[in-house]
Amino acid sequence: MAEDKKTYEYLPENYEEDMLARKRAANKVRKKEELARLQMNSLMDILTIMLVFLLKSYATDPVNITPSSDLQIPKSSAMLRPGATVVITVSNSAIIVDHQPVAIVKDGKVDASKKRGGEDGYFIIPLHKVLTDAAEKKRRLASLNPAVKFKGICTIVMDERIPYRLLTEIMYTAGQAEFQKFKFAVVSKHG
Amino acid sequence: MVRKKREVGKLEELDLMAAMNLILILIPLLLTSMESVKIAVINVSTPQIGPASTATPPDQKPDEKPLKLTIALTDRGITIFARDQVIENKDDPLGPTIPKIGNDGKTESCNGDKGKVYDFAKLQDKLEDLKNQNTTEDKIIISAEPNIHYKCIINAMDSSREKKDGDKKIKLFPNVVLSAGVA
Repeated sequence: MAEDKKTYEYLPENYEEDMLARKRAANKVRKKEELARLQMNSLMDILTIMLVFLLKSYATDPVNITPSSDLQIPKSSAMLRPGATVVITVSNSAIIVDHQPVAIVKDGKVDASKKRGGEDGYFIIPLHKVLTDAAEKKRRLASLNPAVKFKGICTIVMDERIPYRLLTEIMYTAGQAEFQKFKFAVVSKHG
Repeated sequence: MVRKKREVGKLEELDLMAAMNLILILIPLLLTSMESVKIAVINVSTPQIGPASTATPPDQKPDEKPLKLTIALTDRGITIFARDQVIENKDDPLGPTIPKIGNDGKTESCNGDKGKVYDFAKLQDKLEDLKNQNTTEDKIIISAEPNIHYKCIINAMDSSREKKDGDKKIKLFPNVVLSAGVA
């Protein structure tokens, strides 16, 4: 114990402060010499996981809908998941089949000149043409691939303010183009 | 030949800048194009044209008419038909089965008419009674006047599909057939 005390006595009084000052100075020099490098690995991990997750959820959704002021989809307690079918989108401004504009909608009506039978007609001529082509394409696909079957199902995505009359016109026209079963797309209340 | 001495212990760092740039562009792109709402579907069919089926369900008596449950949405309210007959409203025999009710502020109007709304709760009660009388039946025909909004149709479908009784769900008529409009 006595020897230990002796050793400390030989050290200068401001030894600790001196050492700290030296360390600080050395650190400064080192910092100037080396460029600061960010550790990117953990960030890269997060971003890669996010990217895979987003790509997966993007690829698995057969019906991709972006609600807008023209297309407000009604809420429902339905829980069935949408399938890969022909999608007829009816907004307050247009009828679109698989991203292809077909007819203009004004005040919840299709122009009488586009319908067989005029104002009272149920048959929307351009919609029938596009749906017949879509059905033909599906049937050809079914003939080439035995795993695929043409079931005559189409999904209708419709604005909640569209009158029932236009809905029946679309269903009638789709029925004429061999689409007998319908799936109404709604926003699930279950989140 | 003189071989360069490989430096030992010094690891080469990967230049991740290009990959980072790509990922940082892809993520906002996918986020914006991703659906922000969960989409579900309701299966609907149209009336089949063809000879009527002669086979009767096993529990149905041969002399009994098929239920053929139909609900029609009109401007005044909801009219229910069963076995080709209107289910009358005792208070107003000439009016709809379930007349519209005054909006209490809690119910969201489906037809843009803020004053009066359809009484879907009463519709569910009526349909539950009918379901108790015809347990095997699951088909319902929905019809509406031409000016009725699509949202009302969806609400009617929701009401006729199942009834929530606390935690319990009572299945009503999930098989929807959409018929042409009410003249």
